[in-house]
Amino acid sequence: MVVAEASTIEAAITGAVAAGTIYLLAATGEVLTERSGILNLGLEGIMMMGASASFIFTLCFNHLAGIVASMIIGALMALLLAFFSVTLRLNQVVTGLALTMFGTGLSGFICAPEVRSSIVRTINPAVPEEVALLNQAPRLLEVPIPILKDLPIVGRAFFTHNLIVYASIIFAVSMWVLLFKTKWGLSIRSVGENPAMADALGVNVYRIRYLSTMIGGALGGLAGAYIFLGYQPFWVEQITRGRGFIALALVILAAWSPLRAILVAYLFGGVEAFQYRVPLLGLGAQTPQFVLMLPYAVTILTLIFLSFSKVKRRISAPAALGTPYTREE
Amino acid sequence: MSKNLFILKLHHHVKFHGPKPKINVILKYGERQVQDVEDNKKKETLVEMIGIVKRFPGVIANDNVDFTLMPGEVHALLGENGAGKTTLMNILYGLYRPDAGMIKIEGKTVSISSPSRAIKLGIGMVHQNFRLIPTHTVAENVILNSPNTGFFINWQKIYDELKKQISKYGWRINPEARVWQLSAGEKQQVEILKLLYRGSRILIFDEPTSVLTPQESRMLFTTMRKMAEEGKGVVLITHKLEEALSVSDRVTVMRKGKVVLVKSTSMTTREELALAMIGRQEITQLPSQGSSKPSVPILSIRNLVVEGDKEEIAVNDASFDIYKGEILGIAGVSGNGQVELAEAIARIRKIKSGKILLEGRDVSSYSPRQMYENGVAYIPAEGARTGVVSDLTVMENMILKCYRYPPYSDKLLIKWREAAKLANMLVEKYQIVAPSINAKVKTLSGGNVQRLVLARELLGNPLTSPRLIIAVYPTSGLDIGAAEYVRTNLIEMRNEGAGILLISEDLDELLRMSNRIAVMYGGRIVGVFEGSQASKEVIGMLMARGAG
Amino acid sequence: MSIKIKLYKYYLVIEKRYEASIFYNVLITLIAVAASFIIAGLIFEILGFSSIQIYGMIVNTFTSLGLMHETLLRSTPLILAALGLSIAFRMNFWNIGAEGQLYMGAFATTGVVLLHVYYGLIHPEFLLLVMLIVSFIVGSAWCLFPAFLKTKLGANEIITTLMMNYIAILFVNYLIYGPWRDPQGYGFPLSVNFPAYARPSLPFMSRGMLMLLWSLITASLVFFMFRYTLPGFEIRIVGRNPEAAKYAGLNVSSTIMLGSFLSGGLSGIAGMITVTTLIGRLTPDVSPGYGYMAIIVAYLAGLNPLLIIPAGILFGGLLTAGDAMQYALSMPKTGAQVLQALIFLFTLLGEFVRRYGISIVRSVDSNGRS
Repeated sequence: MVVAEASTIEAAITGAVAAGTIYLLAATGEVLTERSGILNLGLEGIMMMGASASFIFTLCFNHLAGIVASMIIGALMALLLAFFSVTLRLNQVVTGLALTMFGTGLSGFICAPEVRSSIVRTINPAVPEEVALLNQAPRLLEVPIPILKDLPIVGRAFFTHNLIVYASIIFAVSMWVLLFKTKWGLSIRSVGENPAMADALGVNVYRIRYLSTMIGGALGGLAGAYIFLGYQPFWVEQITRGRGFIALALVILAAWSPLRAILVAYLFGGVEAFQYRVPLLGLGAQTPQFVLMLPYAVTILTLIFLSFSKVKRRISAPAALGTPYTREE
Repeated sequence: MSKNLFILKLHHHVKFHGPKPKINVILKYGERQVQDVEDNKKKETLVEMIGIVKRFPGVIANDNVDFTLMPGEVHALLGENGAGKTTLMNILYGLYRPDAGMIKIEGKTVSISSPSRAIKLGIGMVHQNFRLIPTHTVAENVILNSPNTGFFINWQKIYDELKKQISKYGWRINPEARVWQLSAGEKQQVEILKLLYRGSRILIFDEPTSVLTPQESRMLFTTMRKMAEEGKGVVLITHKLEEALSVSDRVTVMRKGKVVLVKSTSMTTREELALAMIGRQEITQLPSQGSSKPSVPILSIRNLVVEGDKEEIAVNDASFDIYKGEILGIAGVSGNGQVELAEAIARIRKIKSGKILLEGRDVSSYSPRQMYENGVAYIPAEGARTGVVSDLTVMENMILKCYRYPPYSDKLLIKWREAAKLANMLVEKYQIVAPSINAKVKTLSGGNVQRLVLARELLGNPLTSPRLIIAVYPTSGLDIGAAEYVRTNLIEMRNEGAGILLISEDLDELLRMSNRIAVMYGGRIVGVFEGSQASKEVIGMLMARGAG
Repeated sequence: MSIKIKLYKYYLVIEKRYEASIFYNVLITLIAVAASFIIAGLIFEILGFSSIQIYGMIVNTFTSLGLMHETLLRSTPLILAALGLSIAFRMNFWNIGAEGQLYMGAFATTGVVLLHVYYGLIHPEFLLLVMLIVSFIVGSAWCLFPAFLKTKLGANEIITTLMMNYIAILFVNYLIYGPWRDPQGYGFPLSVNFPAYARPSLPFMSRGMLMLLWSLITASLVFFMFRYTLPGFEIRIVGRNPEAAKYAGLNVSSTIMLGSFLSGGLSGIAGMITVTTLIGRLTPDVSPGYGYMAIIVAYLAGLNPLLIIPAGILFGGLLTAGDAMQYALSMPKTGAQVLQALIFLFTLLGEFVRRYGISIVRSVDSNGRS
């Protein structure tokens, strides 16, 4: 009995980590973007495009190509957002939504079986048509880490995943180091707080905002790739299911810290993994919809929780978040 | 009982005004007295600004100004508000480009295109409002984008360095503390640290004591002296005579964009400086009227306490009355609670304790709308930002307050015909230059926007013309003509019997317009003067130091 | 403030401008739409579809009577939701939740019909009126909750309204797979067919025309509200300058609540139109994203209620054409979405042009001669 319980807990944490990695990657990137003062509401679309790119390029070549492509497409979409919001100084909310719609539409388009198959076979004619038409791609393999995987409970939960899961933790930690232990990080954070002041001290506000948005976009693209290659075994349209928007709420809950984002992402990963465990427990088999609502409901509850003045006072968004910067004479 | 509110700081008044100061040198307007200090000739000049000219639309802020700074000196740049001191230093700091003139740093001609260029040249400036990131630590603020830091920041090493620097000046700030936790004086120390960390040799302080307590000010002066001893050049921009006299080695006085006096501090007197600053200028007195009549006050403020945006006490135990047909001017250096006072009376800001009585009725819990309905007009500071909706039309802005009442609307519908009639009438009466009443307000010039606000507010509500007008910096940012127009209109309203609370930073304006002047310092009313008895020197002194 | 970029003999001058003429505004919008058609054509061409055929089908949508009828039907929910959004966006309340509010309106409408069909409640003559009121209220409730969170707690409405979309869609899904599934429907996830009197129609008018009329009336009402009523005026003030609104004695929170009530309610009615007029029953995919497209429609029309009608008809046409392309060219149905998103992006670019005004000036020498 005790063994069974332990394995249930293990399985739950394993599931939370697997699902949470999606959020962790997206949130880590978004933390960087928002720390520089840019709100990327296009994250959902970027993740969608990242998932598509990983699908197509994995079919064409291999996983590495898929992953690299997803990050490049993510960065390019973010570049578009940066151009609109940093250079043209357009409203970041509306621009982000437009980008999400564009990413969602285009992703659905290029990954529709016939279109996908023709794209894949144009890039690499060696791929057989029946493979390209299949709504599936080879999954990323789990790479258990020797020794660590044998640790009790956490061993299996944290160290028996694919490489992106490990990379996401490394990314989050390095992002924290970058933001809080380096000169660049200080400049990025200052640009997000008070661009005019940073500018006066010679910080290149535009360059920092462009780079932060693009790196954030690359990580968003990777998050999309991970959903398809590492988490969900088959392709569906709308594969991200609003996770990009949930990641935006997570960034607030993580108080714009990549380290806290790890914790918060796994927490939400747990909520998501719970969905798939509910039917196993014999609950909600008839009404999966209510279980599927959980992440969204929890997100709203999170925002309510964050709005209570006691919490709010402790967490403050980058002061210049969402405001375009113009240098004045 | 209100009599005791008018207690004058008479002893002060007499001390300064009674025995007329002996003035030997009569300065004509614009004449310059330059006395070179022989000692400084030996050293190389740190800064030399020659023939600086800077024009803004409608004004010449700097008119052929020369300025020098020697290493090892504290140089006071003295003058009234608007004399052009800050403009001159902003030019040195690269915030403005001069229209003419030359700048030499240590003998080399330089072009200072931006603050970051200035910083590279060793010039640093401590602004009146601190340029710090409140959520960052002291150390983070100090080392931002500094070339002295490696890619990975060794925080411990930086903390140690900063602590050394901090203790050298006898300060007590913790480099790991977040800036929002610090007092104003400590924030200023962070600003200074920022400059020193970047190796600035030329340090400019813009009215540094305006936000400090007397103790903090003394500490700052000690720091300035220490920096001078280290061979740095320190510029102190100030309008306070005492400061210039007590801390500087040399003083440059500016008036109306020109340098009128440069002298070694030890060789000048308070009187000479005061005269140079103010010039021989007749203060025009408008006939004071009505204030001596003890009628019912329109507005009575009793022991009012108001909190500012950061939950600090902004207005502290203020009490005064405004009578019918009277302008009460509030003098004070900005940030001493004037705006909060006005907002509290207009009921836009919560009050913590105390009472506001409108014609004897307690209105402390009224809404802004109720105040409007009771005949209170409010001309907000920065009218162009907060007084109008610039994306709406002139007509829509004209009815911004009265649209809820007949004849401009019934319960549901707005009657645009009436609104247009009103707007056309006001546009004509106040000579507002606008393409049409259907033009958006953002197409209007600043002066015309202010006229619009004035027109709307002075109209009152559909039942009465305003009985109380609260005007906050109503002429700031306007050109001379527009400012004069605003003043004339306010005086007209006063003559028609309205009570007016006029908040201004322009002492001349207050002296010309007010029947009585109250001085605010640190949130308190520190003195109330009859307009005819008020002297600029005494008020200036109170504005600067609170109690004499 | 202006930026001059020298290009050979000419200057490209980018200058902040305050107001552009209506002609200029419409021109920019048309150019933006045209540009997005061209870019979309290029993308489709690259992906192996004939852009000429695609353009042909889009044109056909607006020229063939039968397709025009379909277009008018599909544009109605778009127009209604966009009208609602124009209210919210004018208050700077970022209601991204029109989709969910529409689903909730559809849910409420179906609920009323089921009450009638299963329990015989509500007289058939009042059925439409009851559906209208109930769908409005339920739709607005779905918007009022985020508005309440925003005004009372300061919770970000962008995320809350979005999350409410997912919840609404899943909720309708639950009903249609569960308790509301038609017992005689062979197990398909569909509700019972609505009786004919629960589907608005007029004897002398096609449904498409009726819907156009309905859109026109609603748009006029919204226009009238903005122009002539106190709440409309207050909504405009609050959105443009909340600080000035406070100075003018307005209650900003209650204005936002009122605006959200109207905004959500209109989307709720869009949901009612969808189930009654377009489908005739509740299905799991009530909306192909009308609520999201409505955001684009509202922006394309510059939040002007009257311009929302042509913008909505354009998008209705794109939807109809998208279906046709799916059958005729076997193009994925998201093709239309790509085109719509491009129109959105170019509309935003147009906003920049509008705000800054780009003109090309022949370079002038120092004597003023060219």
